[in-house]
Amino acid sequence: MPTVTYVDFEGQSTQLNLAEGMTLMQGAVMNGVEGIEGECSGSCACATCHCYVDDAWLAKIPEMSENEEEMLEDTASERKANSRLSCQIKATADLDGIVIHMPEEQE
Amino acid sequence: MFRFDPYSPEIDADPFPAYKTLREEHPCFWSEDIEMWVLSRHKDIVMALNDWETFSSAKGNLVSELPGRQGNTLGTTDPPRHDRLRALIQKAVTKRALTHIIEPARTTMRKHLDALKGREQVDFVNELSSKYTVDLIVYLFDLPKENLQTVRDKAVLMVQTDPQTKQKGAEHIAAFEWMQDYAAKLVEERKKNPGEDLLSQFILSEIDGEKLTDKEILLTVTTLIMAGIESLSGFLTMLAKNVTDFPEVRDALVADPSLVPDAVEESLRFNTSAQRFRRCINKEITLHGQTMKKGDFVILAYGSANRDEEVFPNADVYDLSRKPKGHLGFGGGVHACLGTAIARLACKVMLQELLAAYPNISAVDQELRWMSSTNFRSPLELQLKLG
Repeated sequence: MPTVTYVDFEGQSTQLNLAEGMTLMQGAVMNGVEGIEGECSGSCACATCHCYVDDAWLAKIPEMSENEEEMLEDTASERKANSRLSCQIKATADLDGIVIHMPEEQE
Repeated sequence: MFRFDPYSPEIDADPFPAYKTLREEHPCFWSEDIEMWVLSRHKDIVMALNDWETFSSAKGNLVSELPGRQGNTLGTTDPPRHDRLRALIQKAVTKRALTHIIEPARTTMRKHLDALKGREQVDFVNELSSKYTVDLIVYLFDLPKENLQTVRDKAVLMVQTDPQTKQKGAEHIAAFEWMQDYAAKLVEERKKNPGEDLLSQFILSEIDGEKLTDKEILLTVTTLIMAGIESLSGFLTMLAKNVTDFPEVRDALVADPSLVPDAVEESLRFNTSAQRFRRCINKEITLHGQTMKKGDFVILAYGSANRDEEVFPNADVYDLSRKPKGHLGFGGGVHACLGTAIARLACKVMLQELLAAYPNISAVDQELRWMSSTNFRSPLELQLKLG
């Protein structure tokens, strides 16, 4: 099971082992990790699962769709070069160990 | 021997005891009654929703599918076509894009509440949730003001199923055909005179320079009207039922209306109107020792996942302070409900206005008649005491 580290805005980290195929958004909301909302239930239709992907992992995650690109225009916290929606990143063996940082706010 | 028949009136009325047995004893259940698999645990359903390549929607998503929808609507296509179709509508239905519906929603809810002045009791379904929802969809889609009661009646009829024959009855198919004709006229008219409304935007869209097919437009518009009118009003009714069944919840919301969104989320978890949807196995998969073969149909019971103790402790208790994240009240993954932001806004405004007007609104002793449907769950009538 791939390990994912979620780092909140205050710098506190939580490490989770996620079932292969689960999205990083689902991992957070189903395990009570604060800082990720996932209002649209994972259909890439809001921007409340916004995260900053640790630079070391950025090149390894799948490219973003046009839709994700559009949704990221509407984030509550500043959009940065490493901004992604965590509902569009699935836990896979390739991403074992990935670190994501949560923004200050989601709504 | 345990059976699970989503056509049965007992399941319409109260599916939760059967869901519990499914989760605990038959997590991957073959229902002889309907010749389909049933998944009921939260974890398994989330896995299925994330894996559209195995759990395909292209053969339809209704347990008893309507003719011609396969491959032609958002709910009945797979990526990548699905994602492109959805992207056409997505931007118009985000929370930020919808602030313009708040005031019209408030005005219409107040109008329907005002009409009840002096009354002691109300049928919430026919006098409030239906009228409010129809007004909202008329506004969003700019529907003609004529025939609205018929539009509503047909939308409710087309999602129903016949418990005896275990399929859609002639009246349900006829309602679906009526709605298609209604949508066809609307599409034709919008092509000539496009407006700013959601339907015009969709009808005029192109995907990578390629126009949508007439069938895609027609069936998607038909489905949007059905979902907008039926699913939304069904859920508004369940929300009103919860708030009046649990007077302590009602009192907490009256004392602090900022808690209304928490009630909406807990009701979505506790008894969403979209109880079940269907997928078709596209790649053989073995789960809990059972092998589901390519071509087999499988029901994803969202209503059961939302009562899964593994994810929601004391799941059968309605807890206003729960703030449930990760519930499947809107489904999940690529096919999660398109209208989540519309629904949340509509629910919030409805409940705020209802409780402001009638802070003591309460349940009455009644035998509820439930809609006969393999997918959706809501009562056909809900009497409430206003004073």
